[in-house]
Amino acid sequence: MTHTVLTFISKVKPDQADRLGKVLDEIDKDPESNPYVPFRSLSLLHFASVVLHQSPDTPEYGPYLIFENNFDGELNDYLEDLYVHASSGLHQIYSACLDYTVTSASDRRGIIDYLRAHVVLPNAYHIGNTGRSVARILQEQELHDALEAHADTLVERGKPASPGDLLANFQQFVRDDQKWSWIPGVGPRQTFVEQFANWSKLILVIVIALVLLPIWFVPFVICVLVLRYKESTDPVLNNLADSENVRQLLEKENQTKIVQNHMASITMVKPGWLRRAALWTVLWAVNLLARARATHGELSGIPSIHFAHWSMIDNGRRLLFLSNFDGSWENYLDDFIDKAAVGLTGVWSNTFNFPRTYFLIFGGAKDGPRFKAVARNGQTITNAWYSAYRDQTVQGIDNNSSIREDLLKPQDATGAMALLQRL
Amino acid sequence: MAELERKDIQGIVVSAYKHLHCAAFLLLRVRNAPPARTWLARTVTEVMASEAKNAALSINIAFTYSGLKNLGLGQNALDAFSLPFQEGMAAPYRARLLGDNEENAPAGWDWGAPNNPVDVLLMIYGKDEATLNAALQREQNALPAGGVELVKILSAQRQPNTHEHFGFADGIGQPVMEGTGNKQRQLERTHHATELPVGEFLLGHPNVYNVIAPSPAVKPADDPQNLLPVIPADAAGLNAEAGMHDLGRNGSYLVFRQLAQRVAQFWQFLDKSTCAANGASNPEARDRLGAKFVGRYKSGAPLVLSPEHDNPALQNENNFTYYPTDPHGLACPIGSHVRRCNPRDSLGPDPATALNSANRHRLLRRGRPYGHPLENPLVDDGAERGLHFICLNSDIERQFEFVQQTWVSNPVFAGLDGEVDPLVGDLLRGNSMFTVQAEPLRRRLQGLSRFVVTKGGAYFFLPGVQALKYLASLRS
Repeated sequence: MTHTVLTFISKVKPDQADRLGKVLDEIDKDPESNPYVPFRSLSLLHFASVVLHQSPDTPEYGPYLIFENNFDGELNDYLEDLYVHASSGLHQIYSACLDYTVTSASDRRGIIDYLRAHVVLPNAYHIGNTGRSVARILQEQELHDALEAHADTLVERGKPASPGDLLANFQQFVRDDQKWSWIPGVGPRQTFVEQFANWSKLILVIVIALVLLPIWFVPFVICVLVLRYKESTDPVLNNLADSENVRQLLEKENQTKIVQNHMASITMVKPGWLRRAALWTVLWAVNLLARARATHGELSGIPSIHFAHWSMIDNGRRLLFLSNFDGSWENYLDDFIDKAAVGLTGVWSNTFNFPRTYFLIFGGAKDGPRFKAVARNGQTITNAWYSAYRDQTVQGIDNNSSIREDLLKPQDATGAMALLQRL
Repeated sequence: MAELERKDIQGIVVSAYKHLHCAAFLLLRVRNAPPARTWLARTVTEVMASEAKNAALSINIAFTYSGLKNLGLGQNALDAFSLPFQEGMAAPYRARLLGDNEENAPAGWDWGAPNNPVDVLLMIYGKDEATLNAALQREQNALPAGGVELVKILSAQRQPNTHEHFGFADGIGQPVMEGTGNKQRQLERTHHATELPVGEFLLGHPNVYNVIAPSPAVKPADDPQNLLPVIPADAAGLNAEAGMHDLGRNGSYLVFRQLAQRVAQFWQFLDKSTCAANGASNPEARDRLGAKFVGRYKSGAPLVLSPEHDNPALQNENNFTYYPTDPHGLACPIGSHVRRCNPRDSLGPDPATALNSANRHRLLRRGRPYGHPLENPLVDDGAERGLHFICLNSDIERQFEFVQQTWVSNPVFAGLDGEVDPLVGDLLRGNSMFTVQAEPLRRRLQGLSRFVVTKGGAYFFLPGVQALKYLASLRS
């Protein structure tokens, strides 16, 4: 099972931005079943966000509408689904956009073609729970909940039992109920072919790079030296984060009883082709590595990202970053600083105001306070946001999968104990 | 590292005043700036006098954002303070992330909410009741009529009482600040000390990232008497260029929360959860479950080191980690209070990285209990008691709020699902569970109620002595 990660990006008519903002507020009040885009009806969808970005620092770009979608399968099926459940809402929303010429919500072809024409695929992305569909995530959660409830009754009954007997009891519990008959039929998270393809691509790239070393080495060293000069003179942020922006962001963050948060960030890439090339290359490398290595719930040691992606937009002049993550913003940023500073600095050091770096990837985010201020300033309000499983974490979903995968397998006492400990 | 500028640091930063057994906290409002500043100039001399060796009385003073504003500090300087301090603890989204919802919501607070704000916190510590009461009287008499008004006096319980009201030893694990010389003392007392850079607690000094902890600064023209230190070129920080005058240096953000404890409710719940089928209490099991909630026994002995029973010989013991000895919480539950408040090396696959990360969120705790101990912990007497929770940090978001949000009130902390800190978490419906990990099966306790209720609170700035003089010298 593969996922698709993309955005639809449109320019908004400036005089329509306010109206559009109000529509997005309506959606955000009830993302699951609002009349515009009732996200819960989209059975393939994991996370979606809608950002109306006003480009305050760069008015020449005007307002943008950025519609993020992270879904199961291919674009065609998803577009059909989107049209079926949200045609009139999409029509109302995109009527506010500059190049939208569709005149009626019943123009199926017109709306689908419009969306297809505005697809922006990411330069790099990360998926926390590789290969799991929405349906599977929800099913496995339901199974886990049922096992927990069953465990409660066993504990209450209080009869001492060996791990093996207990596991047999759980196995009987699911075999007794037709409801769980799907358990053995679920496929692996990733097929061997998928893993092999990603790894072989990575290895192939490394081999080619080594073979071609004599060709690229000198230009590379020159680029590094130029970059080293540039980064020693680039301006860095010396102020606290813009408090008004932070206030507006905090209004939306940390909704009670939701364990996830969303982050949308749009930053200006530093001028010159070298910076654009450096950013493009780093993102390409991040993507290559993420496909092969970040398939077990963690991206460079960060265990809390469901879906995140980077897109260079506006001919590489701006960098769009969208992330659906577990926990608090502070925790997310601290993880970045403590565990992934190199990769993150490699990406964002090519954007304006980033803390002082050394050789593109060192320093930078290690300056915690300044990095957080830059991150807050680059962040833009997420006008509407949807999660198909808002109370679940990446690690929790992985745990549910592990339980499901091991439950019906024969286990020795140690294996049985390990499985029981997952409850 | 450089010597601490002790003369410029208020005493509460380096000492919990354990030798001063009595304390009271005055909450004040500034009504008129000029007389208030005159009063402050006098109070500063008392703060300085507190530094004398073996002083029988100690006075510290801190201000909320509105307090600084009402004293006449200019808007530029006010804007240079950190955002959480500017907005205060009761701002709606801050209340949300702190878990101050429903019963804990600021709307029900006795003080510190928008409808009952406070400006100044005057902390008075005395060696005995007579000293404290005399000082209290003197300080109240010194308040200039129409200039500074008394809102409330919060009394603390007499020390030494290192047990909080639920009955557990408190304040064992504390980080120590470099330069204070507290490390050795801590090592002797608890066999463990996490020493952190000065900038974790005092503004204007290098913090754990080895960069200057953001500190509010003023333009030289706004400090004509040159009371504040000039920022040198190698110590510039955010909003604080070299050459500006450092208003925050040697100051700290002080978090104050008045937390009422429902002692009888707490022990009744534990009693009900451990009684026999016929309803008979089982005091031993009750205490043991209480210890599971806390992560330490009543004596203070950590469950990690003594999983089966209390061991008073370990009452001050703090030399332990979770990863090698108790990764699954079989001894000390993953959701227990001490494990949530300081998870040490337990979060994440690599213990060294986890410990390093956890130490970015430490607090110097300076709280004191209030109210009388409940005689029979199973029978409510209707009286209010609790903890005046006080802590110091240089970055409210990364330290205090982080602990509260990401650890204490996080329903999915460390792989748990649907529970929060059983003592101080935001026990909303749906998050009112507590899991006791065990082999072969864990036990889940349902239906915990709020055992701790927020009664008031505010974010204060505890200035350095020079900054106090500067505030007293303002003209506006």
